[in-house]
Amino acid sequence: MSAQEYKAPASVDRLQRGGWFFGGVGVLIALVGWMKSPAEFYHSYIFSYLLVLGLTLGSLGLLMLQHVTGGIWGIVIRRPLEAASRNIWLVLVLFAPVVMGMKYLYSGNETETGWLNAPKQGEHALSAFQQGYLTTNGFLTRAVVYFVVWILLMWLCNQWSIRQDQQGNAEGWKLRMKQLSAPGIILYIVVMTFAAIDWAMSLSPRWSSTIYGFIFVGGQAIAAMAMMIVVVVLLSRSEPYSGLITKRHLHDLGKLLFALNMLWAYFAFSQLLIIWSGNLPEEISFYRTRMSGQWGVVALMVALLGFGVPFLLLLSRDAKRTASAVSKIAIFMILMRVVDLYWMTKPEFTSRAVPSWLDVVVPIGLVGLWLGFFAMNLKQRPLLPVGDPNLWEVVPQNEH
Amino acid sequence: MSEKRSQLFGVMGEFSTPEDLVAATKKVREAGYKHIEAYTPFPVEGLAEAVGFKWTAVPLLTLLGGIAGGVGGFGLEYWVSAITYPENIGGRPLNSWVAFIPVTFEMTVLGASLVAAISMLALNKLPQPYHPVFNVERFALASTDKFFLCIEARDAKFNLAEASKLLQSLHAEHINEVKDEE
Repeated sequence: MSAQEYKAPASVDRLQRGGWFFGGVGVLIALVGWMKSPAEFYHSYIFSYLLVLGLTLGSLGLLMLQHVTGGIWGIVIRRPLEAASRNIWLVLVLFAPVVMGMKYLYSGNETETGWLNAPKQGEHALSAFQQGYLTTNGFLTRAVVYFVVWILLMWLCNQWSIRQDQQGNAEGWKLRMKQLSAPGIILYIVVMTFAAIDWAMSLSPRWSSTIYGFIFVGGQAIAAMAMMIVVVVLLSRSEPYSGLITKRHLHDLGKLLFALNMLWAYFAFSQLLIIWSGNLPEEISFYRTRMSGQWGVVALMVALLGFGVPFLLLLSRDAKRTASAVSKIAIFMILMRVVDLYWMTKPEFTSRAVPSWLDVVVPIGLVGLWLGFFAMNLKQRPLLPVGDPNLWEVVPQNEH
Repeated sequence: MSEKRSQLFGVMGEFSTPEDLVAATKKVREAGYKHIEAYTPFPVEGLAEAVGFKWTAVPLLTLLGGIAGGVGGFGLEYWVSAITYPENIGGRPLNSWVAFIPVTFEMTVLGASLVAAISMLALNKLPQPYHPVFNVERFALASTDKFFLCIEARDAKFNLAEASKLLQSLHAEHINEVKDEE
């Protein structure tokens, strides 16, 4: 099979144009908000940024996972996963506003100081370790390290994959990617834990949780898998995917989404169970702000709509095997990822849970940009990994 | 061979690959046979649809088992901690629902999996020490590397000669009559 085949259909062009449009308009309106009220803008920006970061890194994680496990599910989403992982460049650029807005993000709220403005001594001082760790220089240096690791993993996975397409020696490249991916997954999770601590957990520097990074990794995996289901359903409406994607593929992806949803809920609940049972003042603050008042309503939404409803819907075999059903569930789950990240970060700034207009515009803008770049990346390569030695399992006539 | 009366149960064709079996099964269904059954050493993708298998009560029963387990688990903890032995433990509410979740979850899994396993066996009428197909000597291969398709005599359309001919036309490697000894 030549690489000319499996070209992206016109729907990917439409996705790109739509992404650019919503991204452009969203960013322009967000700029107005940034000029009017920078603090509010950055409060919306941080959770929106964590969402697109999650879509990208979750895809990188799933990409490495499918290299390790093998399987048909990985072959049908490998190119979309690679395209999504290449969005790390976009995510790197989008990190600039986080740096610019540090003083609005990490300076605490009305009742508490953040790590940027905490007193050096006295009752409200941070611990000696934190004073040495949570510094502007440390924050920036570590961010550089995180991005170097992610970009390196992304680059190797993408380069080796294209060489597998072009150079032959399919089994050799397959093995190399597998050997990279096994430690790569561990590296991604460790680095993501540090990044989650720096960028999100340090919003409330007096509170800590050891499973925090895993909650992020679980959420990122859901976001990425849900996005892949939406993309596969979109692609399956036209050539060349239309003849290849069967109910069985959707069933596999749906089952994985179901499992990841449970994994995330398990991580999130573990944290709640331990902190709730311990009921210690320095730990319970996280849930006191998030489970009472207006934020309590959002907490219920995250639990019931974010976990419960998708869990029940995805129990059904028919729902997982029907393109229109499973893609709607997936879109809903991506929306609930936004609500979850909103609930994780925003209560640090305000007790008002009703979203501001920026809380709507900024995520739309960033996801629009993300989709635009994703579609652009997707068009660069054949939609199926033509060099994969197991491609015949998806394309039966390739069997030799 | 003995004085036992033996009755025709059906006719069975043997195939070497799962693909041949699935293809043959589809053809036999297309020919109008309803009472057919396939036997394979491992699960074969697409075979259930080919045999015309549509609905089973196992998923529904499993769901009900899970709900019963979950409600039972939570109910037990609630009943013990909030009704029969109300104890103030560190000032926590009697209905400490967060702490009840692990047991609720485990009981849900237990209820669902027990019901799934038991209802699967019951609805399949297992264990079944005797089945007419066992009378065919080559059938032992169904648990190693051969694939069997049986057209049963209770089918309204059944006619031994025709069914055998159909299996032959589908390249069954061996065709055996299946006798049921009463």
